[in-house]
Amino acid sequence: MISLAGRDILHVWGKFVFTGVGLGLLIGVTLVMAGLYRGMVDDGKVLLDNSGADLWVVQRDTLGPYAESSSIHDDLYRTILAMPGVSQAANATYLTMQVRKGASDVRAMVVGIAPGSPGVTPGWPAYLVAGRQITRGHYEAVADVATGFQLGDRLTIRRNQYTVVGLTRRMVSSSGDPMVFIALKDAQQAQFLKDNDAIWQERRRTAADLELNRPGASDMLVTVNALQVANPYVNAVLVTLKPGHSADAVAESIRRWKRLTVYTRDQMEQILVGKLIATSAKQIGMFLVILAIVSAAIVAFIIYSLTMDKIREIAVLKLIGTRNRTIAAMILQQAIALGVIGFAVGKISATFSAPVFPKYVLLIPRDSIAGFLAVLAICVLASLVAIRIALKVDPAQAIGG
Amino acid sequence: MAGNGIRIERLSKRYGEGDTAVFALKEVNMHVAPGEVVGLIGPSGSGKSTLLKCLGAVIEPTAGRMTLGDEVIYDDGWSVSDLRALRRDRIGFVFQAPYLIPFLNVTDNVALLPMLANVPNADARSRALDLLGALDVRHRANAMPSQLSGGEQQRVAIARGLVNRPPVILADEPTAPLDSERAMAVIRILNEMARSFETAIIVVTHDEKIIPTFKRIYHIRDGVTHEEAGEGRAY
Amino acid sequence: MKRPILHRRVLVLLAVVVPLAGLFGYVALRSGPLAPVAVTVAPVESRSLAPALFGIGTVEARYTYRIGPTSTGRLLRLSVQVGDHVIAGQVIGEMDPVDLDKRIAAQASTVKAAEAALREAQQRQRYASTQAGRYARLYEARATSEENAATKRHELRIAETALTAAEEQLARARAEQEVLLAQRADLRLIAPVDGLVAERTADPGSAIVAGQAVVNVIDPGSYWVNVRFDQVGAAGLAQDLPARVVLRSRGGQVLHGRVLRVEPMADAVTEELLAKVVFQTLPEPLPSVGELAEVTVDMPALPAALVIPNAAIRREHETTGVWQLMERGLRFAPVRLGAADLDGYVQVAAGLERGDRIVVYSEKALAAHHRVQVVEHIVGAPR
Repeated sequence: MISLAGRDILHVWGKFVFTGVGLGLLIGVTLVMAGLYRGMVDDGKVLLDNSGADLWVVQRDTLGPYAESSSIHDDLYRTILAMPGVSQAANATYLTMQVRKGASDVRAMVVGIAPGSPGVTPGWPAYLVAGRQITRGHYEAVADVATGFQLGDRLTIRRNQYTVVGLTRRMVSSSGDPMVFIALKDAQQAQFLKDNDAIWQERRRTAADLELNRPGASDMLVTVNALQVANPYVNAVLVTLKPGHSADAVAESIRRWKRLTVYTRDQMEQILVGKLIATSAKQIGMFLVILAIVSAAIVAFIIYSLTMDKIREIAVLKLIGTRNRTIAAMILQQAIALGVIGFAVGKISATFSAPVFPKYVLLIPRDSIAGFLAVLAICVLASLVAIRIALKVDPAQAIGG
Repeated sequence: MAGNGIRIERLSKRYGEGDTAVFALKEVNMHVAPGEVVGLIGPSGSGKSTLLKCLGAVIEPTAGRMTLGDEVIYDDGWSVSDLRALRRDRIGFVFQAPYLIPFLNVTDNVALLPMLANVPNADARSRALDLLGALDVRHRANAMPSQLSGGEQQRVAIARGLVNRPPVILADEPTAPLDSERAMAVIRILNEMARSFETAIIVVTHDEKIIPTFKRIYHIRDGVTHEEAGEGRAY
Repeated sequence: MKRPILHRRVLVLLAVVVPLAGLFGYVALRSGPLAPVAVTVAPVESRSLAPALFGIGTVEARYTYRIGPTSTGRLLRLSVQVGDHVIAGQVIGEMDPVDLDKRIAAQASTVKAAEAALREAQQRQRYASTQAGRYARLYEARATSEENAATKRHELRIAETALTAAEEQLARARAEQEVLLAQRADLRLIAPVDGLVAERTADPGSAIVAGQAVVNVIDPGSYWVNVRFDQVGAAGLAQDLPARVVLRSRGGQVLHGRVLRVEPMADAVTEELLAKVVFQTLPEPLPSVGELAEVTVDMPALPAALVIPNAAIRREHETTGVWQLMERGLRFAPVRLGAADLDGYVQVAAGLERGDRIVVYSEKALAAHHRVQVVEHIVGAPR
């Protein structure tokens, strides 16, 4: 027996391939959509992975430091360090802002990392793709390649200039902004210290306040001004545990005795994945459903029109004794072939276009396999209409009259 | 093929029920012997197509009896279960327009029928090529139908009608799109095939050019046939 | 059996489908979890490390002279401006004396009156002395009574006492005069050393309280940088180490200096050590006091030891180590780290052998089961 479907496809291959490519681009968009969602989840997870922490200690009753702002004193880490089960505790600051390089600027999350050394102190970039880790206590930065910065670039963050000494990859905030790591003290300043004009105005205001600038007590003004630019705050303390200690137990004891809010890795993931991107995830889900329906409609329409073009041939086939099974198989095979071409084109286009998207697109094989099965299911469903029509064709039509 | 060719007795076909019932065929009798080519002539609406469809087991008659070879296939009801297999194996069709399958080449168009009957591909193709040779279109064996002339297409269609060696071939206006020379050629081929394969061939036509070639002609008018002798002119 | 037409169609279709299938296979294998991770590799080297410390500080003057009146008063005149050089002893301003000159004049009169009173007492004493001598002789000659002689001796002693009183009165008046003159002199503001006027906080006519500075004079030769070093990694900071200073206003220019002293008191709040760094030669023009400076202190070079780039250091399950590239795949080698320099190299005290190949950069976080592909540099990372 020869393959009627194959011969028909060979006969109209141009139409078929172009339809397949069109469908493939649609499937590619669908895969990218799914990849966007995975990317958002992954953004949250790499943020947690890269911080290297087991526990996050933040301001009481906040969802900090990523989902909400949190502010705690920068000497709290010392008391946390003394808690049983704590291996390392390090301050960290997070501030999403525009980082300037020359005339252009890039949205980035500026991370302040506590002095220490990579591989020991939590908060440091976990791995680099170029350059080195920060060695000086000030004015050095490690930037993510997604910022577009290169080694040796001079960045401006608030009042100070920083030299890019290292580059990371996939170090992003939960909203996908690339990270720029700088030393904690610089970051504290960046978070708090305003521009020069604001500082001058603040000083003038203070000087005009007779309570703060008493005649005869001229030193007081100096003290007040110094106090105003002091910033002994950080956003979170990152804690790693000694082996053999349960995160929940240590978290509970910090909560109880230090009266701070503590999140474990699981809770943090809940916050980032469950709360921060919940709406976006639903949005993407809606789009996926719409795209699936559109794809199904397209496949159905194409198969339908291919079948309608052949209605006379089908009548002849029936007249000369072709079994229904053979005709149905022909249509079904065509639909599946269309789906396979479409999926291949979609997967290729999604993979090659994924790096171009400004947000991270993570294509995971599980999604691809699910997508493939869905495409096949859609194609089979879509061919049912055409098969039904084909089976209803009256062989007498071929005789005419 | 041994046997009696095709024979129908008192075959009726009624459309509709009760008062609105219309008889398209009224107790039609017809017999075509193996090796014989008969004409079936009638104006439009005379029941010609209905008769052809009944003969081709495409629609079901209302009453009567139909014998194909030695087997009664209809006796106030179908007595064979798989009409499609019946059509595939025992009835050949040649249409007014050739209705070749556009996505199969000439050989496969012809070989499709034996293939559908589970004849191995190679056997089916060689059988088709033999037939194409007999019909003098073997040189177009690899062409697609759209590349053939009208006459070539019709010959391929005849080959397809013959490929399963059916005892009966039903030809519906096989010469309508052809000029007289080619029409004659088709008639010649049909006659040759009828002789060499012992096939009973019924040619539905109102083509004045070919009517004189039949030895026997069935006229049909208002659902009733009557037989007369044709001129039997040479073709 | 030849079917050229079909063959051509098949060929055309193959021309479309084969690249598609090839691309698909490439995509399936080269992306996602099946793809190898691109890494760069470097051997563990043995070499000497020159660690350094980096800190920031502000330019300060070691000596600052805050010149102001010792008593509350009004500023009469101030003859120097910010930036003027002054020499030791130079009068740079004066407070308003108000009534002090009048009081000095009154005191002069008082002194003169006291001098007159003294002279009178001297006369009286001399006369009383003469009288007493004469009556003593007369009494020896019994030419007068004893009583008269006693009276005269008494008068002499009174005159002597009066003289003493007048002398003391004069001394007091003179002392008081000196007090006033000293006060008058104190109203002048005098430069104690050669220096530079750095600040002028009041203008003539202003009322100044005792102890408030009117002018700040600094000694430009005494500039130093007050540097803060993070306590982490500041071991080895010591006196006399060479230092390089970059002023914020002069980005490219490196000034040489040395650590003058490490402060015994560290900052407990900012967790920093404080040190003073002096310039070897003072930069010209002089930097402004309060300017920010970046200071790099070069420590003595360490003996040769195994070193690795700090970019190679990873953390796996609470262990610090590096990914070592073995014959078959990756191995996480825990290491103990030593001193580091500012160029990103760290000494390895234990855990690696010389020549071991370790992963420096990687495309993503590594795990032992990952397949790796060694590349020159990671794609997407320039240089």
